[in-house]
Amino acid sequence: MLETRKRFHDELAALESEILGLGERAQRAVERAVHALVHKDAREADAVVAGDDALDATYLDVEQRILSLLATQTPVASDLRLVSAILHANLHLERVGDQAVNIAKIAKVTMDLPTSQTVVSHLEEMGELVGAMLRTALDAFARRDADLAQTLQAMDEPVDRLNRNMYREVAALASDPHALEWGIRMNVVARQLERVGDHAVDIGEQVAFLLTGEFREFTDASHPTSPLKA
Amino acid sequence: MRRIEASELSAWYGTKQALRDVNMVAEPQAVTAVIGPSGCGKSTLIRCLNRMHEEVPGARVTGKVLFDGQDIYAPDIDPVQIRRRVGMVFQKPNPFPTMTVLDNAVAGLRLGGGLGRAELRERGELALRAAGLWDEVKDWLDQPGARLSGGQQQRLCIARALAVEPEVLLMDEPCSALDPASTLRIEELIEELKANYTVVIVTHNMQQAARVADWTMFVLLGEAVEYSPTRKLFTRPDDKRTEDYVTGRFG
Repeated sequence: MLETRKRFHDELAALESEILGLGERAQRAVERAVHALVHKDAREADAVVAGDDALDATYLDVEQRILSLLATQTPVASDLRLVSAILHANLHLERVGDQAVNIAKIAKVTMDLPTSQTVVSHLEEMGELVGAMLRTALDAFARRDADLAQTLQAMDEPVDRLNRNMYREVAALASDPHALEWGIRMNVVARQLERVGDHAVDIGEQVAFLLTGEFREFTDASHPTSPLKA
Repeated sequence: MRRIEASELSAWYGTKQALRDVNMVAEPQAVTAVIGPSGCGKSTLIRCLNRMHEEVPGARVTGKVLFDGQDIYAPDIDPVQIRRRVGMVFQKPNPFPTMTVLDNAVAGLRLGGGLGRAELRERGELALRAAGLWDEVKDWLDQPGARLSGGQQQRLCIARALAVEPEVLLMDEPCSALDPASTLRIEELIEELKANYTVVIVTHNMQQAARVADWTMFVLLGEAVEYSPTRKLFTRPDDKRTEDYVTGRFG
């Protein structure tokens, strides 16, 4: 058989490796931001903020190249689904990078405030969980593994639970205004990490779409099936 | 408008088999596209739908083609009558070059005989309107058809096919000799015609099938590999061979 669209398919493969690389870098940015927060490492936090420009540049480059493929190559069938999945994953990963920046900035402004070990260890745990989720989503994408993508839903549950409990842990700090200020900011960090987990799940949904041609959300926030989601 | 149903349709040129057990249904008020590489049998397929295939020396057909349940290959059926009921538009616009625009439009009607000048003029206008050509040629009805542009000539041929009020319209690569603007014009016209006709179009241009057809059939080596709603065939085809063809993994 004669491959008639080699340049197009080469470009599509190149774009896929771009977003897989973007995903790795975004995942590392989240881990470094959480590390900076936990260890009060200002230099690490600055590096995360500075590093986001490179992530944004990749995001824009992928977006432009996808638009150009749509304009000139009229992709169809599995090519069309891959183009769509790359476009979505690209946006999700760019947002993950932004969330890492938000966490790094909070790490900077809370450097001199008192902390709560319970809250810190829970955020650390959330960071590890969502890092694993991003790796799983990217692996599932690269390997076209729908079963692996499906596991993201279960992986997201402890992240959601930790996020939901965070406000109680913060409320317990209410007696000390400085501790409370720190706590309120940590609640925002938890929310950022929870969003990272959601982005990983969304990328998993794109993997399922890529393989089956049918898009469906793994979970539907407005029609929760799990009591944990209520 | 007729529902066309082909079952176990096979066709030969001498000993060479061009179609193998094709099953298809073309619904009224819908456009059915047939795509596939050169020589796959797609033109043969539509030529079996109006009994033109058998005009080739040595050619033969087996299987059934039903128009609303009536077998067009039944022994008592006159192929000439079938060709009248099924209009066909060809790849290259083929108006009669010295005939006027109006005479071209009503050429098929004239063959039937029995119509007076005024009636022919009226039916010609109706056909030219239906083909989306009237406004461009109404002041040029007495000019030779060959004076028109390629796209206009093709619409003139569509008008000629429509004038005899067929039940089905077959189009064999109707845009392959036309520029992009004329092509889009014909595609718009196909969209309008489907309200009143059963349309089957053979095209090399996959994007054209994607744009105009409700149903698309992929033919390979004389076999109907896949027949699906167009949107499905171009987003998630069932057969690996369809996938490879539409994504250009083989040509």
